[in-house]
Amino acid sequence: MSDPVISVRNLQVEFVTRRATLRAIDGVSFDIAKGEVLGVVGESGAGKSVTGAAIIGLIEPPGRISGGEILLNGRRIDNLPPEEMRKIRGRKVAMIFQDPLTSLNPLFRVGEQLVETIRTHLPMNERQARDRAIELLTEVGIPAPEKRIDGYPHEFSGGMRQRVVIALALCAEPDFIVADEPTTALDVSVQAQIISLIKKLGRERGMAVMLVTHDMGVIAETADRVAVMYAGRVAEIGPVRDVVQRPMHPYAKGLMGAIPTLEAATDRLVQIPGSMPRLSSIPRGCAFNPRCGEAFARCFVDQPVPLPVAGRHVACHLYETVETVR
Amino acid sequence: MNQNVPPPPTTGAPAGRLARAWDSDLAYSFRTSPVAVFAAVLALVMVMSAIAAPLIAPYDPFDPASLDLMDGFTRPMQPNEISGKVFWLGSDGQGRDIFSAILYGSRVSLLVGAASVIFSLVLGVGLGLVAGYVGGRTEALIMRVADIQLSFPAILVALLVFGVARGLIPPAAQEQATLWVLVVAIGLSNWAQYARTVRGSTLVEKNKVYVDAARLIGLKAMPVMLRHVLPNVMGPVLVIATINLALAIIEEATLSFLGVGMPPTQPSLGTLIRFGQQFLFSGEWWILFFPALALVLLALAINLLGDWLRDALNPKLR
Amino acid sequence: MSPRPYVEVTDLRKVFDVSKPWLNRVIERSPKQFLKAVDGVSFDIKKGETFALVGESGSGKSTVAKMVVGLLGVSGGEVTIDNISMTDPAQRAQRAKLRRKMQMIFQDPYASLNPRWRVDRIIAEPIRAFNVVEGEANIVARVGELLTLVGLHPDDGRKFPHEFSGGQRQRVAIARALASNADFIVCDEPTSALDVSVQAQILNLMRDLQEKFGLTYLFISHNLAVVRHMATRIGVMYLGRLVEVSEAKEMFSHPRHPYTRMLLDAVPDLAMSGRARIPVAGEIPNPINPPSGCTFHPRCPLVNERCRAENPLPINGVACHAVVEGRTLLMPVPA
Repeated sequence: MSDPVISVRNLQVEFVTRRATLRAIDGVSFDIAKGEVLGVVGESGAGKSVTGAAIIGLIEPPGRISGGEILLNGRRIDNLPPEEMRKIRGRKVAMIFQDPLTSLNPLFRVGEQLVETIRTHLPMNERQARDRAIELLTEVGIPAPEKRIDGYPHEFSGGMRQRVVIALALCAEPDFIVADEPTTALDVSVQAQIISLIKKLGRERGMAVMLVTHDMGVIAETADRVAVMYAGRVAEIGPVRDVVQRPMHPYAKGLMGAIPTLEAATDRLVQIPGSMPRLSSIPRGCAFNPRCGEAFARCFVDQPVPLPVAGRHVACHLYETVETVR
Repeated sequence: MNQNVPPPPTTGAPAGRLARAWDSDLAYSFRTSPVAVFAAVLALVMVMSAIAAPLIAPYDPFDPASLDLMDGFTRPMQPNEISGKVFWLGSDGQGRDIFSAILYGSRVSLLVGAASVIFSLVLGVGLGLVAGYVGGRTEALIMRVADIQLSFPAILVALLVFGVARGLIPPAAQEQATLWVLVVAIGLSNWAQYARTVRGSTLVEKNKVYVDAARLIGLKAMPVMLRHVLPNVMGPVLVIATINLALAIIEEATLSFLGVGMPPTQPSLGTLIRFGQQFLFSGEWWILFFPALALVLLALAINLLGDWLRDALNPKLR
Repeated sequence: MSPRPYVEVTDLRKVFDVSKPWLNRVIERSPKQFLKAVDGVSFDIKKGETFALVGESGSGKSTVAKMVVGLLGVSGGEVTIDNISMTDPAQRAQRAKLRRKMQMIFQDPYASLNPRWRVDRIIAEPIRAFNVVEGEANIVARVGELLTLVGLHPDDGRKFPHEFSGGQRQRVAIARALASNADFIVCDEPTSALDVSVQAQILNLMRDLQEKFGLTYLFISHNLAVVRHMATRIGVMYLGRLVEVSEAKEMFSHPRHPYTRMLLDAVPDLAMSGRARIPVAGEIPNPINPPSGCTFHPRCPLVNERCRAENPLPINGVACHAVVEGRTLLMPVPA
């Protein structure tokens, strides 16, 4: 595959509180290629949203990137001064948030917000920018965009609003988009439409997409590859079909078994005992060890790193002794 | 299956309540705010010395037998030319020690302030809680009265109440009753703010499902309000109460200054200021200056504490 | 004759007045506006079964739940539980006894526990209110028993709700619901605020408790997969109306109403089976101004003139003209 659009190397993010320095992200690495959708999945506290925020430079004090690097098209962006990062944000990288209401200014017409964003990043006059805005609205599937462009955000339904937010993110034709729980606030029937829209746009425009969500179903429908995160670390990362259907990391296995599905009506769901540790009390060794049924001595001492196993990377001591097949 | 025992919180056993309180976010915010610590120390010193006035005051300013006209108008820190007595903060025309008068005066001021705050708090919180919880016409009625109340200057309301009370209470009992009339007057002029705040928070809390859960077990409105809603709306009320304590003390001083407050036999800081201002232009500045300074410091300390408490309890500023 | 169902809901209605304030109406000359949140809903629940109501936002499923337990007054229709009417003012005294047997578990475990109360006091509240057991020592013992039952430690009772995770709080809420020995529990989206691994714990716990105590559940959810796991029978709601009621197995293998079909197709395909699916179209209309006739008609692939004009009544558990007339959906051939 060609060079990755975005490349995260051993990323560490810390939050300094008066009691302790909490490590929210601890050594996360992944690449996303052109036209690829990487799903980042995990439960609350896994650090998936923080990872997204770190990439587009939105970590605010008391948080800070304390290690590793982030490369966009081969250029380091994690250490840029805020002013330069702001130029890249919107132009090269964009973000779609969970709640479409908060990402649109309720006082301005949708068209005004689109035109303003387009003209901030591209050399266009008012007329051209407006035409471009209408094109974008058409592309994200808003019916009668010539009319709707003069509407206010509150005149749009939840799903249509999220489409507008997506159009807003596309304004400057970014290379990379972070979508943070883009469908969580939406109804099931609308969610399906937004998922297929994001997928289609990523393909057609050759963007790299990082899709952050807690919903494995959304990942299965949208992503090419998936990273399962746990307590600020990547537990397993690989092609979506492999990870979703034949997960290897005990946490990923438990997670997949815990999801009720339409297909198999089982009497009991697999349950992972306990819950995600708080940042202030992440266990030594493998962070998953207190909840893991297969933990052995080493898991309580050494922190596992993702190693290639069966076409994917798994951070688990269980697989280190096994000879890698492929 | 025993995984469900949650990991122990940062501190171990429930023992060491004090240690936990010291470690709480509120205590931390206090410790790291020099202004708050300064204000607390100042307020504490003033309140303690007011309470202990009979013990620490060098003179008894209300014992006519000990007053000597010869001691009149003694300058601060200078011995009286005739008697040779030294008054730290000077003396007034009747030879009364200003320092002692301030100690006794702040006692009265604090008493009136605190009592009126409690009065308006109970009234305002009660009405606000009922308005928010019951809603409908009851709410409309209570809140319109509060609106009307708030559109009058507080001092005007207090004057009005004071005037009415004067008319109702027999003259013989008036001097005795003045303090409580003041408490009611100031309290009545301040309840609306509590009512508004509490009504707002009650509307929020009422819609949280723990209230539904309480209703589901058949609890009547009164126990739900008192046991469930009330404890959850008191945070902002404490902030208002602190700031209002300073306001109430100033309001009392204003009323006393206007001559409708505490009588000269039981002077508050405001009464002292009223006496003092007569001498301002004849050179005896200390008779006004020190009581006024005491009032300002007291109000300032309480206000600073209130400000800190408001910020510390506001999750947005943390 | 089969015994009377434990819970009977007949033609339940709820209308909310969503008008602007009186003064605004006068100035703007706008009429009063009403929202039919629940419009003629009927179903029954047998003892020991789980009846699920599914629907998207605005379907009125939570409003039904609140009316069933009596947290919200009804605008019309009747709710009968264990032969006692929840809606008839004459049966107020009997209803007080019913309260004890009927509890609710709420969606948001962060809002359903009073943040200023310790957990043991929260769980003891219904015990005291209904005098389930007498004497302080017995109450303490009972609270400890309940905590153990839901998988917590008796010592956890000394803690405040904020010291627990979301899943643990939901366990506390379940313990509270069981405290008065309730046998009918209304669960309003009990796991939608929880992470999946925790959701599995709570769902398993709820099933275990149902088995142990023979509980009857009314289970409200928007998540079809969760419903499939929990329910015996399912009612699908759309814009305040019940469009289909079926046995759970039946509904998932043979959905009858076009909306049920659409909902099923909207669920992400986790097994990646590549099952044939019809893409979802349109969004839920504004419930203040619902479409004429069958409210689903603007999104329905089987729509005809009759659907636009006439509201279909439930026949055999399905309210759909197309089903009655035998118009069927042409399925795309699986790739």
